Amino acid sequence: MYKFEKSFYSKTSMYSFGVVLILFFSMWVSTSKFVHIDMALLGYAISSAIFAIGLTIRMSFWMWRKATNRVAKRSVNNLFNKERLKRNSKAIVITFIDNIVLQKFIFQRSLYRGIQHFMISWGCIISFGITFGLTFGWMRFDLIDPETYQIIVFNVPTMKMAAHGLFAEIVYNGLNIGAIMVLIGAAMALYRRITNYDVKVTQRFEFDILPLLILLAVTVTGLILTVLYTFLDGWMHHYMSLIHQVTVIVMLVYFPFGKLFHVPIRPLATAVPMSYQEVVKVDTKACKSCGQPYSNEDQIADVQAILKSQNFDLQLSDGTYLSDYCTGCRRRMRAMKQMNLEAPKGNPYGPVSTNNGIHISGFSKKRSEDFYGIDQDSKEETENEPVSR
Amino acid sequence: MNKIMYLEFERCIGCRACQAACRECGDHDAKERNYVEYVDFTESRQTFPMLCMQCKDPACARVCPANAIQITEEGVVLSAMEEKCIGCRNCTFGCPFGIPKFDFETNKMYKCDMCYDRTRHDIAPMCASVCPSDAIRFIDFDEMQQLRRKRTQMNLVEGKKPQEGNKWDYVPEFFGVYTDSQS
Ligand code: SF4
Ligand code: SF4
Repeated sequence: MYKFEKSFYSKTSMYSFGVVLILFFSMWVSTSKFVHIDMALLGYAISSAIFAIGLTIRMSFWMWRKATNRVAKRSVNNLFNKERLKRNSKAIVITFIDNIVLQKFIFQRSLYRGIQHFMISWGCIISFGITFGLTFGWMRFDLIDPETYQIIVFNVPTMKMAAHGLFAEIVYNGLNIGAIMVLIGAAMALYRRITNYDVKVTQRFEFDILPLLILLAVTVTGLILTVLYTFLDGWMHHYMSLIHQVTVIVMLVYFPFGKLFHVPIRPLATAVPMSYQEVVKVDTKACKSCGQPYSNEDQIADVQAILKSQNFDLQLSDGTYLSDYCTGCRRRMRAMKQMNLEAPKGNPYGPVSTNNGIHISGFSKKRSEDFYGIDQDSKEETENEPVSR
Repeated sequence: MNKIMYLEFERCIGCRACQAACRECGDHDAKERNYVEYVDFTESRQTFPMLCMQCKDPACARVCPANAIQITEEGVVLSAMEEKCIGCRNCTFGCPFGIPKFDFETNKMYKCDMCYDRTRHDIAPMCASVCPSDAIRFIDFDEMQQLRRKRTQMNLVEGKKPQEGNKWDYVPEFFGVYTDSQS
């Protein structure tokens, strides 16, 4: 295995290779050895493969982060723990329905935002499903007699439908329905981004607005395409389909690297009820100082391990860590230390003490002068992973 | 931006004007992000204001599994990106000072962002602009240095000299966002 890994440039490229291999294989199976491949969709297929590679690269880098890795590892371990079966299944089902299907928390933010996000996300899920299904040949329609189509999924014939039935119309128009949903949602989002002063505080054009414009470009060109061949006999159809293809390719290539990347990381939200706080707002671990419950044993263990692995020195003189205390006590500790109020041992006549025993660059007793040397500094930088900026 | 948030806990009179102001700030959704708390209620009525330190290497961002906490080019540590945050509260427990707050209903982590829309243009944050006792100030780097020196002198007058091992004890707390360039 190790040797196999070494034959690649990096782990990430190994994973990408695997993903492309799986895609290729699934295509091979579902098009019965490429007999039924739709050559018109080849451009989409290639950009979808690039999309898959980009996603793999981003996911592996994300998983490599110490915090993500630790949380994900604990969740995976818990997932295969038989004693937790009930808790796990409950956590997965509830998170899936509340967070992904219904997106309740976004509706809590406001009805407008809820509708807007619901439209974009479900529109995208429908369109992506159909696009990938057709380009990789996972799904195709075969005419078995002049009145009936059969849907073939992974080269396995499934249900039949009347060629002009209601269901068939919905299936044919799936992409249009998805596009209209995204169009409504993205337009709502764009309007909010432009008019709302609150969102302007931290919004950045390339991060928050560009993806909306890309989504709009894809949906608008796609819908124009439909209009062209249903009402105008396919006039300019060829050019439009080319333009549409370009917008889709831009979106697929952009997807893993911009705001849309929040979609694949969302499932990690199950880690919260699964490994940390089981019931919302019910804490189980008591604060070392005031005894109030403020967190959960496993979570604090994880937080401490993550901080330790990144050289944060947050241990107090009595051996406890700052994260062993509730947030209120932590704030009080800092203020008392700083005002030299830490009775009874502190010397009330001593100098105004501003050192709270917590390492803050420049204010810690624990760091010697040479720590601030240039070479040392740059060494620190390379040892730590970069924070997103 | 070359301004410093300068805190002097002893000056706090507990009026909570800073919290009221914080609620009014853009994008704060009428929820305050700073704290005014009693040092020890059984001993005295002394309160202290507490804000985010805008750490250079923020523990909150390092423990976030979703990589949701971003740092702006000016060095302000922002609230979690709403679309990425998975609501685990690691940031709250990882922060040495217990700053990030979490809203379970809307799944939003929110923390002091130094009123980014104001400080970005060198306008004092809401809390500093309303504090009647100057416990929170938004001042120039040079002024901050002067205040620090004064505090050190105060100690010297009392006959105590800083030594190599404890000279940092003579320097009052300051923090904020500043770059070395004089822009
Ligand atoms: S929230 Fe805490 S860890 Fe994060 S920047 Fe502020 S003080 Fe630092
Ligand atoms: S609550 Fe959100 S911002 Fe805080 S650590 Fe968890 S994912 Fe990151």
